[in-house]
Amino acid sequence: MMRRAIDAGLVVALAGVAVFLWFTACAVPRASAIPAFARKYQTSCTTCHNDYPELNDFGEAFKKNGFKFPKDDESFVKEPPVLLGAKAQREVFPKSVFPGEIPGMIPISFRYSGFASYNNRQPLAIGFQPRSDLFMPNTFTVIGAGSFGPNLSFWVDNDISSGGANAAAGLGDGYLKVNDISRPLHLPKDTMNVRFGQFELDLPFTQARSIDPTGYDIYSEASFAGVQGTTSNALQFGIPQRGIEIGGYPNDGNFEWSLAVVNGSNNNAAMRNSKDIYVRVSQRFNLERDPEVRKEVQAAGPTGPRDHTSIRFGAFYYYGENELNQDGSLFAGIGTLKEPFYRAGGDVRFKYRQFEVYGLGMFGHDNNLIPNTDTGMVSRGVPVNFSGGFAQAQYWIYPWMIAIMRYDFVNSPTDMLNSVSTLATRNRFSPGAQFLIRANIKAVFEFQRNWEIPIPGSVLPFRHYGFVAGVDYLF
Amino acid sequence: MSMSKMTGVLAGVVLMCGLSLSSARAAEIKGKVAVQGLRSPENIVVYVDAIPGKTFPAPAQPALIDQRKMTFVPHVLPVLKGTTVEFLNSDAVGHNVYWPSVGGNKKLTHNLGTWPQGQKKSFQFNDLGAASLLCNVHPEMSGYVVVVPTPYFATTDKEGSFVIKDVPPGHYTVKTWSEDGKPTTQDVDVAASGAALNLTVKK
Repeated sequence: MMRRAIDAGLVVALAGVAVFLWFTACAVPRASAIPAFARKYQTSCTTCHNDYPELNDFGEAFKKNGFKFPKDDESFVKEPPVLLGAKAQREVFPKSVFPGEIPGMIPISFRYSGFASYNNRQPLAIGFQPRSDLFMPNTFTVIGAGSFGPNLSFWVDNDISSGGANAAAGLGDGYLKVNDISRPLHLPKDTMNVRFGQFELDLPFTQARSIDPTGYDIYSEASFAGVQGTTSNALQFGIPQRGIEIGGYPNDGNFEWSLAVVNGSNNNAAMRNSKDIYVRVSQRFNLERDPEVRKEVQAAGPTGPRDHTSIRFGAFYYYGENELNQDGSLFAGIGTLKEPFYRAGGDVRFKYRQFEVYGLGMFGHDNNLIPNTDTGMVSRGVPVNFSGGFAQAQYWIYPWMIAIMRYDFVNSPTDMLNSVSTLATRNRFSPGAQFLIRANIKAVFEFQRNWEIPIPGSVLPFRHYGFVAGVDYLF
Repeated sequence: MSMSKMTGVLAGVVLMCGLSLSSARAAEIKGKVAVQGLRSPENIVVYVDAIPGKTFPAPAQPALIDQRKMTFVPHVLPVLKGTTVEFLNSDAVGHNVYWPSVGGNKKLTHNLGTWPQGQKKSFQFNDLGAASLLCNVHPEMSGYVVVVPTPYFATTDKEGSFVIKDVPPGHYTVKTWSEDGKPTTQDVDVAASGAALNLTVKK
C-alpha cells in the first residue's frame, strides 16, 4: 500500500488557511447604485432600481447599454459631457487621436452602510464573543461610473473602509467595457461586448449588487482538503476576478451569454500561469401577453410601470486547474501538482408584478492529489466536493417596503472533516425586511436562523440565531 | 361734402366707436406678484374667482401638457373648469401620469396609466382645484393642472409679472395659486381701461 506522505505541518497550515478564509468570506466587496447617474440625468434612483442596488428592467437596460438610456440618451442628459475631440475627428483618424468624451462632472458617488448585529450566546470554547456589535461591519464606498462616448463605459468602486475605522478594504469592480464590438459583422446590437479589468463574474445573481446585508453562503464556499489531501483552492464565486470577459445580449436581452478568462485568484495577484474559464448562458421568457408590452423596456401596467412578468433559466460552468508545489518547497521531488476543478450550476428567476423568486444550485468539484515523497508518485485522493445554493423570494408590499425570505444551504462533508463546520450540511433561513426611507436611504433588517455554523473548536452543534439591522445610504 | 367723403367719415366714426367699445369689453388686469419665502415668483397662477350668476363654457380645444426630457411642459397649466387636457409623451421612455387629489380631495385621485413615446391620453377636469401631476416611472417629475372657475387667468413669468386678458369691467375677487405658497385673495375693480394689481404670496 502506498504510503501517504503528507507533511503534518502542511495539513495544519492548509486547515488554518481554510478556517481563515471561511471567516473572511463575508468581506465580499459591495458595489451599489449610482447617484452620479441620478445627477447626470436629474432623475430619481427608482428610475433604475426597485430596491437599490437591485436593478429593475430599465436599470438592466441602462447598464447593458453602457450606462446610457436605451434610446435617445443624449436628449435626457442634463449635464453634457466634455468632448475630448470633435466628433468629426473620426474622419482624420489615424492622423489624430480618436475622439472621445468624459462626463461633464466627476461621476463620483458615495455609499455608507453600517449594520448592527445581535447573536445568541456563543460557546466559551471559542473565546468570549460579545453578543452584540454596533455598526460593524461599517463600510464607506466610493463609486465612479459612466461612459466615455457611444460604446465605452467604465466602473470603479472601492471600499475605503470596512470592518472598522480606517480598516483597508479594497477595489471591488474596476473595469472598462466596450459595447457592441460585433457591429462590423452586422450582428444584432450588443451581440458581443468585452470587459477588461477586475469584475464580478457574470453570476446568475450578483453578490456585489445584492440587496441582502449578508452574502450568499454558496458564493463564499472554498475547497480545502485539509487532512484529506492537498486540495487548497481559495476561489470564491462572490469575490471579483481579474480578467477579460466577452458576452452579449442580443434579442432585447432575453438571451444572454458570457465567456470570461480570469486569473482564478479572485482579486489577488495570479498564483499560477494557467487561467480559468467561466461560461454562462441564460434565456428569459417574457410572459407578458401583449406583444407591444413585450417590446417595451418596462411593462406598463394600468397604474404604472413594472418589470415584465418573466422567467429566466440559466446555467454556468467554471473550470480551472489549481497548482501546488510549483517551486518544490512543499513536496521535494514531486513537481507541480495540478488539480483540475470545476463549478457548475443552474439558476432560475421568476418575476410577477411585485413578486419575484429566484435561486440557484451549484456543485463544486476539486481533484485531490496525494503525493508520496518517498516514491515520487502521485495518486488521486477523494475529490473535494460540495454542493449548495439558495432560494430567495421578495415581495414589494409598497414601493418602499420589501419583505424578503431566503434560504441558504451548503453541503460540504470536507468542511466537517476539517472542523470548519460541525455538520456536513449548513443551512440558514433569513427572513428580512427593507424600508426605503428615501429613494437613496434605507433601513435593512435580517433575522438569521442557522441550523449549523462553522465555528472551529466547538464540540456540539447548536442552534444559532442572529439579527442584523442597519442603515444604507448613498449620495 | 360729397357722398363718398360722407361715407368715409361715417365709416371712420363707426370704426372708432367699435374700437372704443371693444376695449371697454376687453380690459386687462396687469400686475406683479412678489413672493416671501419662496424661491421664485414664477409659475404662480393668478385668476378671477367665481362670478356669481355667471358660468363659462369649457373651451372646445383641449389644452396640452407634454412630457419632454422627463419634465412636464408646462410645469403649471391653469385651465377653466371642464377643460380637456391632453397628456403627450414625447420621450423615448415610458411615462405615467397620475394625480393623488384635485384641490386636496383625495377621492378625485386618478391614474391615466403609462404609455410610450408619441402617444397621448386626455382627461376632462370638472373639479376646481390643483391636480398635482406625478409620474410613477420617474418620481422626480412634477407638474400641475390648476382648474379655475373663470376663463380669466394667467401664469406669472420669471419676474412675477402677469396679464389677465379679456376681462370685462367690473368688481372681482382675484386669487392666486402657487406650488409652495399660501393662496392670496384680493378684490379688484376693473375699469374699461383695465386694472393694475400687485400681490404678495407668502410661504
